[in-house]
Amino acid sequence: MLTAAVLASITFAVTFGPANITPVDVWGSILHHLGLGPSPLEPLRDSIVWDLRLPRILTAGAVGAGLAIAGVVMQAITRNPLADPYLLGLSSGASLGAVAVLLLGSALLLPFAAFLGAMIALAATLVLAGAFGRITPGRTILAGIAVSALAGAVTSLIIFWTVTGDSYREILGWLLGSLAGARWPAVGIAAVAILVAGVPITLSGRVLDAFAFGDTSAATLGINVQATRWIMLTGAAVLTGAMVSVSGAIGFVGLILPHAVRLLVGPRHRLLLPLSALVGASFLIWADTAARSLFDPRELPVGIVTAIIGAPVFAALLARRRVNS
Amino acid sequence: MPRPLLTLSLLASAALLLTGCATAAGAPSPSTTNAVPIDNCGVRVPVTAPPKRVITIKSTSTEMLLALGLGDRIVGTAFQDGPVPAKWADAAAGLPVLADKVPSQEVVLAANPDFIYAGWESNFSADGAGTRPDLAALGIRTYVSPAACKESAYKPARLTFGDIDEEIGEVADIFGVNDADLIVEQHATLASITKDTRGLSALWFSSGSDIPYVGAGIGAPQLILDTVGLRNIAADVKDTWASYNWESVIAANPDVIVLVDASWSTKEKKIAVLEGNPATAKLNAVKNHRYLIVPFAASEAGVRTVDAAADLAQQLAALNLG
Repeated sequence: MLTAAVLASITFAVTFGPANITPVDVWGSILHHLGLGPSPLEPLRDSIVWDLRLPRILTAGAVGAGLAIAGVVMQAITRNPLADPYLLGLSSGASLGAVAVLLLGSALLLPFAAFLGAMIALAATLVLAGAFGRITPGRTILAGIAVSALAGAVTSLIIFWTVTGDSYREILGWLLGSLAGARWPAVGIAAVAILVAGVPITLSGRVLDAFAFGDTSAATLGINVQATRWIMLTGAAVLTGAMVSVSGAIGFVGLILPHAVRLLVGPRHRLLLPLSALVGASFLIWADTAARSLFDPRELPVGIVTAIIGAPVFAALLARRRVNS
Repeated sequence: MPRPLLTLSLLASAALLLTGCATAAGAPSPSTTNAVPIDNCGVRVPVTAPPKRVITIKSTSTEMLLALGLGDRIVGTAFQDGPVPAKWADAAAGLPVLADKVPSQEVVLAANPDFIYAGWESNFSADGAGTRPDLAALGIRTYVSPAACKESAYKPARLTFGDIDEEIGEVADIFGVNDADLIVEQHATLASITKDTRGLSALWFSSGSDIPYVGAGIGAPQLILDTVGLRNIAADVKDTWASYNWESVIAANPDVIVLVDASWSTKEKKIAVLEGNPATAKLNAVKNHRYLIVPFAASEAGVRTVDAAADLAQQLAALNLG
């Protein structure tokens, strides 16, 4: 049912936008590109649908799903309800890697640099958290905040030294999270990340369920705890790096969406993972649709929208659960 | 020396100094002293003795002073947007450069200015050249190009050449010089411009790639486009410049695109952005290379606005739309 919701979201979101194009024409144009019939639109308006809106919406869906999966994984593996790509420094590390490469001017390397940044930040966070004893949730968060702060400061330093004129505007929009630049290559990067990391993780809900009761019980269930932990976290870093490289650091999705879905369907990962991915995809598609059409002809960075919509929704869910329990 | 005596002697020497000054300079002219203070973006700028040591921030302020023949008062420039036009190049050649971007307060104070003339209000901030009240407390008068005022009471509702004339007049008053020649020159250039009558539309592409930053409906870009007879596709946006979106640009399919050429966002880079995006590559203006170029420093309101319009009008007339 949620898969249908994602498909419906794509179908409807693509009809929204500053340019006035009727839904029938929009779908006609998409069918034309899928090899079914002629396009009802002249080439420029056709291009609005096929080169601007559709890749952007598909990217939004993939990024939303990827960040939600990454959030679920990190919360499960660290057994920490506050874990997300943001708090553990992955997003900041990915941003740093991406900004460094952006200013050196190689767009091709961007996803790899972002992944590398995310991975280094994650390793730094976990090493720091475990440096003086057992890794506890509180220590992990503190370590993540420290790594985040350092990566953020270095990013700011690079920007401060290299940005001239009003080009800061562009980088700022990207740091806040924006899907405005998402074209077909971005769809490709996000889709590959979903395929190589998102899908395998989603299919390993049983493993994450085992982790929920602690390392020892996971081990008694025949799971290689250390190896699994690193494989899962590397997968989360791949997802975060890829998503940050196409959309900047979009906050909130990775932290709050898994919680919201958990409040609705319970903590079992076999259900939680795929549902979080689908809800994340729909959520970000609509958040980005709002970002690009609410203040037409201007655009909001989508990170602002995710927080403005997401925070009250999450608060409502929290309040409801308290009433129920 | 006992305190009262000290005070008295200080007063006496001050009085002597004052009389000395008055005698040396002759009777002060009414337009330069004790005139009504100027209300500049909500800050009172006294019109007293003409400034002698001026720092200019951004190109518009430097060029205003050069146009009024006041280049010898400039002790430092900062945050220049590009080279000055050939007609002022000699006067600008020796000007000390304090900073490539917004100078810090210390850099400003070290140059010992008595007046700072900035192109943007935001140049006067604690992490920039210093706040206007702080500088006033140090006896340094500050002035911002009124077209750049941000408060709604001061921001021009829609910039006109009258607003630029007014800025010329205010600066001339502050410096006690005559602005008649410059105003006449500006109006002569304006009168020389032939408005295009082909009913063409234009995008004013200022910067950006994912999100285009464009000239909107009430600032210098709109004034220039109006003057040369181009319809701004972003005229509905009630702002000087604004973030826009490519979808609206494509839906409008402008006949020509004005490319702002800045060192950090060159015209070549902008063309690459337009041609690299599969959707904008299909725009008529992009396919047929119908570009008009304006240097960044001339794209903000000031004495070069009319020159920029004249230049664009010539480029536009030379465009063959087939």
